[in-house]
Amino acid sequence: MTTRVEEISKKLQEDSEEAIGEVLDRIRLMEDLSAEEKLDLSKGLTSILYHHLHSNSSRMLKLAIRAEKRIAKFGPDVIPFLFEEITDVDGESAAYLGKAFCKIGKPGIDYLLQEWSRFSDNDPALINLLQTVSYYTVPEIQGAVPLLVAASGHANFQVQAMALHAMGRILERSNTNLIDRRLVTNLFDVCFHALAHAKPLVRKNAACSLGKMLRKGILLPDEEKRVRDAFMSITGRDEKHNWDRAFIVRKEAELYLSHFHPVAHDGHGYRQTFRIHTKKLLCPNTYHFIVEAPFIARKIQAGQFVIVRPHDTSERIPLSICGWDREKGTLHLIVSAVGKTSTEIIRMMEGDAFRDIVGPLGERSRLPEKKGTCVVIGGGYGTGAIIPTALDMKERGHKVYGIVGARTEEFLIMTDELKAACDEVILTTNDGSKGTKGLVTDALEAIMLKEDIVHVLAVGPVPMMKAVSEMTRPFKIETYVSLNAIMVDGTGMCGACRVSVGNETKFACFHGPDFDGHQVDFENLMKRQKMFVKEEQAAMATLTRLHNN
Amino acid sequence: MTTEERPKLSNKDRILMPHQEMPLRPAESRVLNFEEVPIGYSAEQAEKEAMRCLQCKKPHCIEACPVGINIPGFIKLIEQGKPEEAIKVIRQTNFLPAACGRVCPQDKQCQAVCVVGRKHHPVGIGNLERYAADYERLHRKMEMPEVLPPTGKKVAIIGSGPAGLTAAYELVTKGHEVIVFEAFHRAGGVMVYGIPRFRLPIQIVDEDIKFLEKLGVKFVYNMIIGKVMSLDDLLEKEGFDAVFVGTGAGLPRMLDIPGSNANGVYSANEYLTRIYLMEAKKFPTYTTPLYSGKKLAVIGAGNTAMDVMRTGKRLGADVTCYYRRSREEAPARSEELKHAEQEFINWRWLSNPVEFIVDENNFVKQIRCEKMELSEPDETGRRKPVSTGQYFVEDCDTVVMSLGCSVNPIIPSTDKMVRTNKWGVIMVDDATCQTSKKGVFAGGDAITGGSTVILAMGQAKKAAAAIDQYLKGQLTEEAKVPTDPNYSVQSWKPASRKAEKEGQSVDAR
Ligand SMILES: Cc1cc2nc3c(=O)[nH]c(=O)nc-3n(C[C@H](O)[C@H](O)[C@H](O)COP(=O)(O)OP(=O)(O)OC[C@H]3O[C@@H](n4cnc5c(N)ncnc54)[C@H](O)[C@@H]3O)c2cc1C
Ligand SMILES: Cc1cc2nc3c(=O)[nH]c(=O)nc-3n(C[C@H](O)[C@H](O)[C@H](O)COP(=O)(O)OP(=O)(O)OC[C@H]3O[C@@H](n4cnc5c(N)ncnc54)[C@H](O)[C@@H]3O)c2cc1C
Ligand code: SF4
Ligand code: FES
Repeated sequence: MTTRVEEISKKLQEDSEEAIGEVLDRIRLMEDLSAEEKLDLSKGLTSILYHHLHSNSSRMLKLAIRAEKRIAKFGPDVIPFLFEEITDVDGESAAYLGKAFCKIGKPGIDYLLQEWSRFSDNDPALINLLQTVSYYTVPEIQGAVPLLVAASGHANFQVQAMALHAMGRILERSNTNLIDRRLVTNLFDVCFHALAHAKPLVRKNAACSLGKMLRKGILLPDEEKRVRDAFMSITGRDEKHNWDRAFIVRKEAELYLSHFHPVAHDGHGYRQTFRIHTKKLLCPNTYHFIVEAPFIARKIQAGQFVIVRPHDTSERIPLSICGWDREKGTLHLIVSAVGKTSTEIIRMMEGDAFRDIVGPLGERSRLPEKKGTCVVIGGGYGTGAIIPTALDMKERGHKVYGIVGARTEEFLIMTDELKAACDEVILTTNDGSKGTKGLVTDALEAIMLKEDIVHVLAVGPVPMMKAVSEMTRPFKIETYVSLNAIMVDGTGMCGACRVSVGNETKFACFHGPDFDGHQVDFENLMKRQKMFVKEEQAAMATLTRLHNN
Repeated sequence: MTTEERPKLSNKDRILMPHQEMPLRPAESRVLNFEEVPIGYSAEQAEKEAMRCLQCKKPHCIEACPVGINIPGFIKLIEQGKPEEAIKVIRQTNFLPAACGRVCPQDKQCQAVCVVGRKHHPVGIGNLERYAADYERLHRKMEMPEVLPPTGKKVAIIGSGPAGLTAAYELVTKGHEVIVFEAFHRAGGVMVYGIPRFRLPIQIVDEDIKFLEKLGVKFVYNMIIGKVMSLDDLLEKEGFDAVFVGTGAGLPRMLDIPGSNANGVYSANEYLTRIYLMEAKKFPTYTTPLYSGKKLAVIGAGNTAMDVMRTGKRLGADVTCYYRRSREEAPARSEELKHAEQEFINWRWLSNPVEFIVDENNFVKQIRCEKMELSEPDETGRRKPVSTGQYFVEDCDTVVMSLGCSVNPIIPSTDKMVRTNKWGVIMVDDATCQTSKKGVFAGGDAITGGSTVILAMGQAKKAAAAIDQYLKGQLTEEAKVPTDPNYSVQSWKPASRKAEKEGQSVDAR
């Protein structure tokens, strides 16, 4: 053991959360680790994972997730070690190891496929391996399908159940465009057959996987119909009224039956599939999506937004538009994961479809009447949202400055696209890692000092929009901000999005989303955004739970 | 009852037969879940209740029914033990019988004028309608109506509430191609996002939608007409020959008092939409949250307020109703009020909210009301609430304002040709439901500013008949659309003198 590794294992023996945090930081900064060092470190890190399982602290959970990441970063060198470990521990521990393992990617799959046969008689190991397979999101995992099919005929029903579970999972988490059709048929047959199994757990997992196939929209019409009929009978809604006697099975079927509800009726020429064409990582937890929505794309204007629902059980959440292609019928969206629904969205893959997208909502962004210098300011997803308006301004002959702010360079997004839309773009970061060090208001002040500004648009976090409005107020510069109030319908029907503007109550979805920043009561907006914090955390917890098991 | 003939009973015998009460689930257990509250008549009860009908020669009840159901006709068939025939009679004029039997304000329409009701309890027309409709549903006796051969004409229906669905039904059976555009992801309008499941189970609405789909009506969801396509787009680019606007009254009215924008203060629309359309009652399986506290204050005493209160009760809250007039003036349907009263709601009549008191995080924590008293009746006979200058404060952590709605402004605001009155209500020709824009017809809450399911259906039928004529080129007269911005279509007038005397407002909310 090298000295630095030895130091680390000593530190770990302190067995405190602080020590673990420190160790993780240290490992992150270590470079050129030898294979042997990686192995030694992995042993230490897996002990952190096991530790977490016996603690209820949320800090420990975070540390465990970080440890998982570090192990994965070690790459192929630690594959054999992890693999042996997975086949040797309890299911819960194996879950964390499995997630680390699958992050290593293709080499892990090759190893797994090659070594699999050693465990055909070791049921607990087999279950853990099947679980590991279920975590993969890369197309290569389709190579494991024959193993899954074989395992679904295993003598031990728990093995069968896990195999069925994995089938649904890998289909759910694959890019639809890359899924082999024959493979779907194969897995469909296996799962469908298993609906008649004697053990409820097996039936439940079969129903769950079929449900996932449905939700993903990869079944053929007649397969869909067979699932629907089967689920109707499981829930006792068919003519015979003899439902599945196991509650867990009925519940599973019930959940997915809702996905059949109003299947967009074909044959009227107004079908929008809302499929994701491309998905691109912009910065941690933030993705750029190109989504098909031809009717909305035809009409949308700068500053308008849409409301989306990724799945049938999801909330409706508003999203701005950072671009569109009227010919191709696509919308460009930026989504940052902040809670359950946005996380559900960023977990969707290319080829997946949103359940609903409705729009265009709200009024288009206001443009200044006088010709002159305009400034558009963005932060977070707002950097994308200001682009269409900047283009509009430029088209009308205004001079357009763009200002983008972020914590660090890593979070500066869409800068090239914005540069293409503006005459000049100023980047700011809080830590100075790129562009000017400071806030967007500093950059705005600099422009105000040298030029007369006729119009400012700011889209982003509320404190930023507020600061911008305060900055321009003394100079009476027309300033608009896009209010991201909590919404439900987006058509003026519910009043959830009430905002106070100039002492009047307005509906952000209908009268806005852009309002005169000098009139907006930002305090009220900020407080209203916190209306559901507890519920949001509870919702997020269900997602984390789902993710972990 | 097996005999074909009506049993030989004198009118007096019939009148003296006791009214069959609708069996209800007990209040203690029904407030624990969202199951339907009335259980429905048994066959025996239904036949007994049907015997109470005198089969009047000139039945007032038919006149009082906005869609003119042949009421004695279907009641007779129930009495004879032929519910499957009875439903056919109802279906001749009303294609949402299961819904109407449950939610129509019969006590202000057919039952208000029923001859038997002059001295005794009127015939339970609504309960009987429901019985026949449920018989049909449960025995799967739904028969497809005759559909005329295709005419080649295409009609767009905007909104899938009762008005839109009725227009769709009427037009598709006339052989026109019908496409319904709905803004939400689910069809049914208020029937899915407002009226609670324990009054109108969602399956009923879904079955009606499926029935329409089988008839060939096509539903397109997630389409906000006005935004995604304008009326002109529909008429010019998309090749529709006529448009029916049934967009409802979807703009909630809010009190403008201190604290109105506090956290935990909802409109009834938001509260009910979150719970029913978005299934917040199944949170967190369904993600839509609802901040539903332990102490719910509901402002208003209309049908919607009753629905909110009873929903809140089912979510485990302690519910209090605040209304500035007294119980007698409460606009809710008497049955709803009765059911709510059984469900352990606290009542604060003659209490006018003046402020919602908030905590440091802007969450509502108390409600402040002024005590009111009623004035002497004015010339319209209505007693107005007047201030007393006395105030009281009570705790609450959720407030729902149920003060009615104004008309959904999206269509008129995106097409200036569609004329509205100063309250935003779309104005139409009384006889044909034509709007000021050629080829565009309207009905339902969009032209009344809020009424009832059955009235919406009645107008939709009128409009559909006119659209049919229009498509055949027979509607040549100019539409007579009022120009006075103060003009307002009267909601359904109280049908009986009795109701009128009581000064009941018939606004459903
Ligand atoms: C007009 C408009 C345009 C928007 N455009 C985009 C966009 O282009 N891309 C994007 O990623 N997001 C956008 N948002 C914000 C987005 O709607 C919220 O992030 C989303 O509703 C969060 O849902 P959730 O279930 O993931 O998180 P939740 O669990 O509901 O919330 C998690 C946390 O996020 C914050 N939050 C919740 N709702 C909002 C909200 N409406 N606005 C801001 N913060 C919120 C709260 O602090 C909350 O505690 C927009 C909002 C509006 C009103
Ligand atoms: C809580 C509540 C309880 C009620 N209880 C009763 C009762 O017990 N009995 C009774 O008779 N009446 C009751 N009513 C009143 C009754 O529901 C309405 O009068 C009736 O639903 C009106 O029907 P409608 O078709 O005109 O409109 P709605 O039912 O409001 O339907 C309008 C539809 O149009 C859609 N839409 C709106 N704008 C657009 C657009 N631009 N593009 C596309 N689609 C659009 C909406 O999403 C909606 O689905 C109640 C109302 C409420 C709110
Ligand atoms: S008014 Fe009453 S008694 Fe007369 S026909 Fe109608 S329901 Fe029967
Ligand atoms: S989101 Fe419902 S009114 Fe604005």
